This record gives sequence, structure tokens and C-alpha cells, in this order.
Amino acid sequence: MSETPAPLERRGTDFPNSDLPDRDSLRSDRLRPHAEEVYAAELAALASVDDKPRPPHWLLSPWAVVTYLMGGTLADGTQISGKYIGSRRLMEVAVATLATDRALLLLGVPGTAKSWVSEHLAAAISGRSTLLVQGTSGTPEEAIRYGWNYARLLAEGPSLDALVPSPVMTAMQQGRLARIEELTRIPSEVQDALITILSEKTLPIPELGREVDAVKGFNVIATANDRDRGVNELSSALRRRFNTVVLPLPADIEDEVRIVHSRVTELADTLELPLVASAEDEIRRVVTVFRELRAGVTADGRATVKSPSATLSAAEAISVVTSGLALAAHFGTGILQPGDVAASLVGAVVKDPVSDRVAWTEYLEIVARQRSGWADFYHACREVS
Amino acid sequence: MKPDQVEVAVFGVRHHGPGSARSLLAALTGFGPDQLLIEGPADADPLIAWTASPATQPPVAILAYAPSEPRRAAFWPFAAFSPEWQALTWALAHNVQVGFCDLPAAHTLAPETATPPSPDLLAGSEDDDENPGGTGPRRVVRRDPIAALAEAAGYDDPERWWDDVVESRSDGSSPFPALIDAMAELRVALPETDPAMAVTESRREAYMRKTIRARVSAGRRRVAVVCGAWHAPALTWPLPPASADNATLRGLPKTKVTTTWVPWTHARLSYASGYGAGIASPGWYDHLWRAPDRPVTRWLTSVAAALRTKDLPVSSAAVIEAVRLAESLAALRARPLAGLAEVNDATLAVLCDGDEAALRFVTDDLVIGQRTGRVDPGVPTVPLEADLLATCRRLRLKREASVKLHDLDLRRPLDRRRSVLFHRLRVLELGWAQPAESEVASRGTFRETWQSVWRPEFAIAVIEAAVWGTTVATAAAARLIDTSEQGSLAQITIAVERALLAELPDGFARLLAALAQRAALDVDIVHLMDALPALARAHRYSDVRNTDTSALASVAATLVVRICAGLVPAVSTLDPDSARAMRQRMDRVHRATGLLVAGLPEAVSSGAPPEAVSSGAPPEAVSSGALPVEGESPRRRWLDALSGLLDRSDVPAEIAGRVVRMLFDADRIADGPARVHRALSYGASAGDKAAWVDGFFADGGLLLIHDVDLRGLVDGWVAELSDREFADVLPLIRRTFSTFTSPERRQLGERLATAGPGPGPVAGSPTYDLELAAPALTVVDRLLGLR
Repeated sequence: MSETPAPLERRGTDFPNSDLPDRDSLRSDRLRPHAEEVYAAELAALASVDDKPRPPHWLLSPWAVVTYLMGGTLADGTQISGKYIGSRRLMEVAVATLATDRALLLLGVPGTAKSWVSEHLAAAISGRSTLLVQGTSGTPEEAIRYGWNYARLLAEGPSLDALVPSPVMTAMQQGRLARIEELTRIPSEVQDALITILSEKTLPIPELGREVDAVKGFNVIATANDRDRGVNELSSALRRRFNTVVLPLPADIEDEVRIVHSRVTELADTLELPLVASAEDEIRRVVTVFRELRAGVTADGRATVKSPSATLSAAEAISVVTSGLALAAHFGTGILQPGDVAASLVGAVVKDPVSDRVAWTEYLEIVARQRSGWADFYHACREVS
Repeated sequence: MKPDQVEVAVFGVRHHGPGSARSLLAALTGFGPDQLLIEGPADADPLIAWTASPATQPPVAILAYAPSEPRRAAFWPFAAFSPEWQALTWALAHNVQVGFCDLPAAHTLAPETATPPSPDLLAGSEDDDENPGGTGPRRVVRRDPIAALAEAAGYDDPERWWDDVVESRSDGSSPFPALIDAMAELRVALPETDPAMAVTESRREAYMRKTIRARVSAGRRRVAVVCGAWHAPALTWPLPPASADNATLRGLPKTKVTTTWVPWTHARLSYASGYGAGIASPGWYDHLWRAPDRPVTRWLTSVAAALRTKDLPVSSAAVIEAVRLAESLAALRARPLAGLAEVNDATLAVLCDGDEAALRFVTDDLVIGQRTGRVDPGVPTVPLEADLLATCRRLRLKREASVKLHDLDLRRPLDRRRSVLFHRLRVLELGWAQPAESEVASRGTFRETWQSVWRPEFAIAVIEAAVWGTTVATAAAARLIDTSEQGSLAQITIAVERALLAELPDGFARLLAALAQRAALDVDIVHLMDALPALARAHRYSDVRNTDTSALASVAATLVVRICAGLVPAVSTLDPDSARAMRQRMDRVHRATGLLVAGLPEAVSSGAPPEAVSSGAPPEAVSSGALPVEGESPRRRWLDALSGLLDRSDVPAEIAGRVVRMLFDADRIADGPARVHRALSYGASAGDKAAWVDGFFADGGLLLIHDVDLRGLVDGWVAELSDREFADVLPLIRRTFSTFTSPERRQLGERLATAGPGPGPVAGSPTYDLELAAPALTVVDRLLGLR
């Protein structure tokens, strides 16, 4: 049974002449504004200096899209913030893929900014990141093709008015990017509904004896989880309609600290947490702990440690620090202390109560305890462990 | 002739740059020189004619070496896409005088310069990395100045920079004058800081100028010079006065050198192999040079083919998509044509599903490439190399850069001759073929497995080995004879073994004489014990090869006598580590005496039961316990000597345990259980007991499972232990038994359970129908060479 809501009305997201409210006023009402709203000013600035050829129905040229993702300074002095911290090469491959008629599959372990990249790609290319299908084991075919408004269907019989288009169908009609999150969580028979859409670029509606043809500019960005790869492995027919880009974990600690720091600042901004000073040190410590546990070896390469089962990605580090910030702001001294991050850090590392706890206790006793300047952190963790 | 009538065009190229090569050919055709000079050792001029031979296929390299000291050598490699190579072939095709103009190898290889200096194309041995491969901005620029310019312009691939900036110039004028200007700037901005390098460079450039002057005064009017871009500004016409250059070149050290062409490989052109002027992707450059059109499409098609050979299905549709992705990536990066970075990105995203491991196949096979060059067989070289080549051709062996496994069946004449060749090369320490583990399950003594990989530096090894002789056989024999004069006893016995395998009868006689003499003089029993096993194997192997080795047997018998005489002092009062080494040595000697017995006349006459050698096992694996062989033989002497060790208190526990076991296996002691009991009773210290058990069971659990007598002994001993004694002994036994594999332990348990209490040798009447068995026994005798 279709529960698919009709797509939301477009919120004036043609950013070149956008009359969007600015960032401050957005903050007041909505928990998480869309990328095209938050960065409307940057997108508009890019569009104004962008004189390179644009593929049909793209709001920006591929060059401008990569600049939007990677950051930089424009000719007119506008500063574009970096959305993706990592290899420029990967973003170039992703953008170039979307300019061909192959769809883009972003692969990676949880928390490697797959959805983040996909949202920003859709925002920059189509001006709209909301044509989204969230993949779950219960995603029905209607979420990819179309559903019916049964009241109208019964009253008026099959007609265009009684049809409820899916985000993918809307994207086809408007020549925009559709996003499919967690593609491998979707049951295989539902996944295969994408094959016709991706190869023929049409969506037949047999009930009405017609079809919807994709307008130029339509494409699909799917994300899939490396770890869940086996859940519903893509059929090879579907797989060969996708170009694959694997998003890696951050290469070095400086990159990861930058990622966590910039995202934490942004989140604290939207969540209106009171300003907390000197978070940098704690962020570095959390990132260090995560990297060492993930790699199974300490940063100086002198001791091996057990790796817990949890995926210790940058996204986890961000949520650990954010909840630490909330603790510090509301219950603490207003300064991020080791004790504030300890509780959520332990929760993030110890997912399996038996084996992960062993790994964590060993890490704490062997590595954290010895390290100079980590005494507070060690005791805070001991308390909550 | 007045200087102003002379025109000298200097073409500064990028070594191994296909773009440079294309521009160069166009520029040469436009200029129409009557003399072409190329950066390369001037004393290699006689080799130039060979480049026209159809049998010569690049990549090849000029090898220059000092005949008196072949290790002092240098290579100048050329690939098909090297501008220098193209210039050579162009000149020969157009009947233009051509020569090399760089400092002769006679100077660069002269002994005063401790290590070979660093011409751009020179690759020394792998460890001499003071060549232009160093770090620091100047080193990087010096190594590949055009790459540095490209990097400054934001390009990761210098060839693409060349294509974009140089090739796609619309006015069609030659790019080389502008390059000279750029290099002149770089030379001012980055002067040489290392004095040694500065001297080398000034000498080289002085020599190049000297060569140009010489050609001009010889009457040439249009001289074209092809050199590394870095040198171009120093060679432009008009040249400075000759006096300064003459002063620079005066009194240079000189040595006699020989030059020749040798085959080279793409792998050795890459950075990965440590070659100073190397390039990252010879395979890609080769493709760029050879592909007539649509290089990206052709490349991705061959990538797809390569992936298919690795069982990764790649459809044509995927190749189409990869080409499109590569092209749109190039457009995104504002490049006129997709380069290696784009095709690799497209390969990863489309053809490999984002799998880096799959991409690596392509990198190794295609981007670097496995191409090996060929040299015209007529190229003058050392006689040994010529003989080796001829032998390889006769035996249908190819010298390839890729790893190849040879499973040789020595019963076939061709394989046997190959085996002999490999063994001879091994005597010469030429590492082309190495013994390897067979993939074929059956391993008889008639089977050998070798793994061969040809590396260009073997060319030097061949030349080094050439001092030994003119053919592989004579060189190997001479080498063996040298060993017989210089080597230690153990080295000589190993040489004896190799001489037999390599079928070198000349060396063999000399070796035997040296062996007998050395063995007579050597007083160290350890040396004698080390020498015996190889000798015994050699003796044993002669059964297969029909070489007369009776002399060997007598030498071996003498050795055994002397070992037995010196055994007692050698094994007394050793510390535990030496005791273990000695125990292993004794094991080897024990096995060797087992091998010796079969061929000795005494053994035959005494009517000892023939040795039970399992046909599948190599000679070394013949187990001691399975050989109840005695007689008036070295074996018997050895066992007597072991018996002499039995009750001595100064023999280390590990050896004592081993001796008891050896003698028990040989049926020489009756009181086995009592001895085991005594050795493991209260009196001995725990450490001694543990060592004793270790020695006793040193050859693993398998024999315990299958040897009924041995099992009976152990079983009987355990059964007699009292409860307290058992508790005391348990940790020791457990310590040794835990080294057995678990299937061994399980099988042992099963055997003990079925055998019931107490030792029970298999019952059965020992009556044989000799008449019935006679034909079989005859065959066995012939197999063992007794008849």
C-alpha cells in the first residue's frame, strides 16, 4: 500500500534569483535546512561567475560543482567553503559521471559522507536535494515508480490526477537528480525497478497506456554501505548502470580533525547550543582515539590495540563531540571537558558489550593511561566504563 | 668554413617522452641536418648501425663495462618512444651521419670516479641512488626538467603538458627554441650545489661542445643535436671558445671499456625499479607512441581485455561508458584529451566497480608493462653470452621478464638438458633460474622445478662470469675447479653435488682429488659432519645419472671413519644450544650413512636387506628409523660409534636421548624401556629430562604411530610407571607431545586403544615363498642398482 506523500512544493530553490531567507532567520524555525538553502549564497555566487558550458538542465557547470564541493575562492573574491574534505579526484569522477548517462553509486563504510556528498551534489546540480528515496527493507516499488491516490482512483478511475509520482518520477519529469539512500537495503525486486529507468530513461505507466520520458539532466545518485554490501547485493544488470566511487575514511588525522571541527561548529550553530570554547583539543583527542582503534595500532606505531566491532567513522566522532558540547553547555562548566565526551565516546566504541568492552578497557589501560596530558580523560572514562 | 655558414639546431627533449619524440621527428624532417648528434656515450658509436636491424626491438640499452672489472658498468636504456631512439632510426633511414656526443664511457667508468657519475640516461646498480633520483627541488628539476615545468603549470603528467602546451600550438613552429629559453631560466634559478655533480656536468657539456666543434670543422654545415632539455642552453650555436672546454677535459681518467647492446624491460624503465631517469608509466607511453589513433579508446579496450584474463567480466558497454567518463573528466579538468589520470579514474569507477585491487592488475600489467626488448644476435658480445643465447635457443628457453615455472621431467632428454643448463648457471651464480616448489603434486627424483625471471642486470652477471670461460660448460667447470682450490671442505662437497647435477665431469675429477685431500687434512669433525650429507646425496644421485662415483663412496667411507673416531670428544660437554646443533648434525650424518650403504660392495656382499627408499620422497627425506641396515659398512661403524656414547655421563641429555632412539631403531639395544625409564627418573634434573625427551622424539609423531616396536617401548614404559612417577613425568611428555599435530595425536590414541594393553608386535609367520618373490626381488635389486 502506498504511503508515499506527494512531493513537497518546491521552495523557490532556483538559487540564481533566490529570495530565500538568510541563514540567521532559517535558524529560528527549522531543525535542519536543506543544503541548497543553507548555501544559497555560495551557489548564487558560483552561478554568477560560472561561464563554463553547462550540461542541459544543470544549474552550474561541472567545474563550478566541484568548486562548490571542494571549496575555494572565486574570481570576485567570494569564499566558497569546503563541503567535502578529501580527494578532489573522487569528486571530479562523481561529477563527471553525472554528466554522462550512467548513474552514480557512492560506496563507503558508514559515516564517510556519502549522503552528505549526494545531498550537496543534488543541491548544486539541480538546485534541489529533496527528491529522495530512503532505502529500507520495506521500501515498496511505489517509492521508485509511482503510487495511486486510492480515493481518487476509486472515484474517478485511473487518471493522471489520481497518480502519485515518486521522487524518481518527479526528477525524470523535471530533469533533476534523484537520490536513493542505502540502495542495498532495498529488496532486490524493488531495486530492479530502476533498471528500465536507468537504461531506457522512461517510466511506463501501463494503467494509463502512456509513459513518462526523462528530461535531460535527470540522473540518479545512490549511496550504499560497504559493510551491508551483502544485504541485497545489486544485480549485475543494475550494477552496470552505475559508476562506482568509493569514499574512503579520512586519510590523515589533520583532515579528520578539520571535518569533525567544521561539522561540529555547524551543528552547534543550528542546534543553538551555547558557545563552548576550546573544543579543539577534545576533538583532536576523540579523533585520535577513533583512528587508533580503527587502525588497530597507536599513532606512533609502537603498540597494537584491538579493534572494536563498531564503525568508528568521522560521523561518529562528530556526534560524540556534539553531545559532549551539549553536556558541557547545559550541565558543565561551559568548557568542553574530557568528562563531557567520555560517556558518549564509550557508548560509540562499545557496541558489543563483551568483545568491544575488552578492546576498550585494554585501550584505556595500555594506551590512554600512559599518555601525558590524558590523565583527566583516562579518569573520566574509567568512571563511565 | 666560416661559423656563420654553419647552422646548429639543439633539440632539448624529455628522455623517454613520446611527445618529445613526435615533435623531434617533425623538427628533424623540417631542419634536414647533414649530421645528427645524440646524447649518449661517444664510444658507443660502433653500435649505432645495429639499431637498423629488424631483429633489434626496443626496449634495449647500451651496456658499457670495463672488461677488467665488469661490475664497473653502466646502462643507457632506450624505449621505442624515446626521442633518442627515434632520432637514431630516423638518421639511419635518411642516410644522415649520426653519432653520440656525450662524455665517453671510458671516462665515466674510469676508476678515479668512485661510483659511476650520473648522465641522464644512466642507471647504475640498484643501490647507487646518489644519481639524479635524490630529493630537493634541484634534484627533482634536474632529473626531469620538463616534468618540473609541467608541475609548475599544474599538470600531473608531463606528457600531457607537452601535448597541451607544445603539440597543440597552432602556428606549427618548432617548440624547441622556447624550451631552450625556459631551461636557461631554470639553470640560472637552480645552480648546481653539489661540487662533484657540477664537475661531472661541466665535463659532459664540454665534451658535447667539443664534439659539435669537431663535426663542424670536419665540414658539416647543418648539425642537429638531440640532448636532454637541461643541457640544451649550453650547446647553442655559436659555441664559446674551445680553450676552456679543452682545459676542463684535460687529464680525465680513462679506462678501457667495451660497449654492447643488451635487452631491456619496461619494468626497469619505471621509477619503481630505482632507475634515476625513470618514468612512472612506460606501458602507457608505449601505447601513446604506438596507437595510431583514439589512444583512450584503444587503451581502455586493452584494459578490459586484461581484466577479462583475470576473470573479471567487463562488457563492451562498460568500455563505452569508461571512455565517456574519461572524456568528460578531461573536459571537467579543462584538458583537451584524457590522460593516464583520467583513464585510471574511469577504469576504477566503471570497469573495476571501485575496487582498487582490481585496478592494480592493470597498473602492473599495462601501465608499467612487461615488454622485454630483443637484440640482434649479431651484436658483438662476450662469447659466453653468445653461447648462452645459442643454448637457450636450442633448448627452446626464452629469456623473459615475467616469472615462468619450469616443471622438468628428467626422463625426457630436452628437460634433462634444460636442467643441466640451469644447474650450470647456478654454478656460475647466475640467478636467472632458481629451484622452486613444484605445483605438480607428484615429486619423484626424476622431477625438478625451476622458476625463471630474466632481469637486465643479468647481462652484467654474464659478462662477469665470462672470465671463467667461453661456453657455459667450460665456464662452470672452471668455476668448480676454482672452488676446489679455494673452498672449504663443505663448499667442496656442495660443489661435488652440483658438478654431478650439472654434468661437469672435467671439474668433477679435480674436485674429488681436492675433496680427498681436504678431508684428510681437515681435523675439525664438525666440518667433516657438515660435508658428509652432500657427499652422500651426490653418491646416491649417481645412481640416476650413471656417472662413475665409486671414488665418491670411498671418500665418504673415509669421512665416516674419521667422524666416528672423533665423535666422542665432539659431543662431550656441550651447552644446550650447541647440543641441539650437534644433534641435528648427527641426524643428518645418520641419514647420510643410510644413503651410503646401498652402493658399497660390503653391503652387497653381507647380504643386508636392501634399503627401503620410498620412491616418492627425495633422498633427504629418507627417515632414519626405517632403515635397519647393517653390515661391514659405514653404517655399522657409525652405529658402533653411537653405542660408545650410550653410557657416558658427559654427553648432553638431548644427544643422549637421540642416541638411544637411533640405536633402538637400528635394533642395537635390548633394554630400551629401562633406559627410557632411567633417563626420566628422579635423579635427572627437569631440564635434562626435557632435553632427553626432545632428542628421543626429535623426528615427530609419525614414526610413533607406525613403528610398532617404538610404540610398544613407550607404551610399556608408561604402563610401568607408578602413579606418582607418572604425575612427575607427565609435564615432560606433554611438552614434547604438544609439538605433534592434532591428527597425529588422535591417530596415536586410536592405535593405542586398538592395540590393547602391553606391547604387541604384529603376529604372523615370517615365511616367504622365495620362488614366487624372486622376480619382484630382481626388479627391486635393479632399481637399487645392486645388480
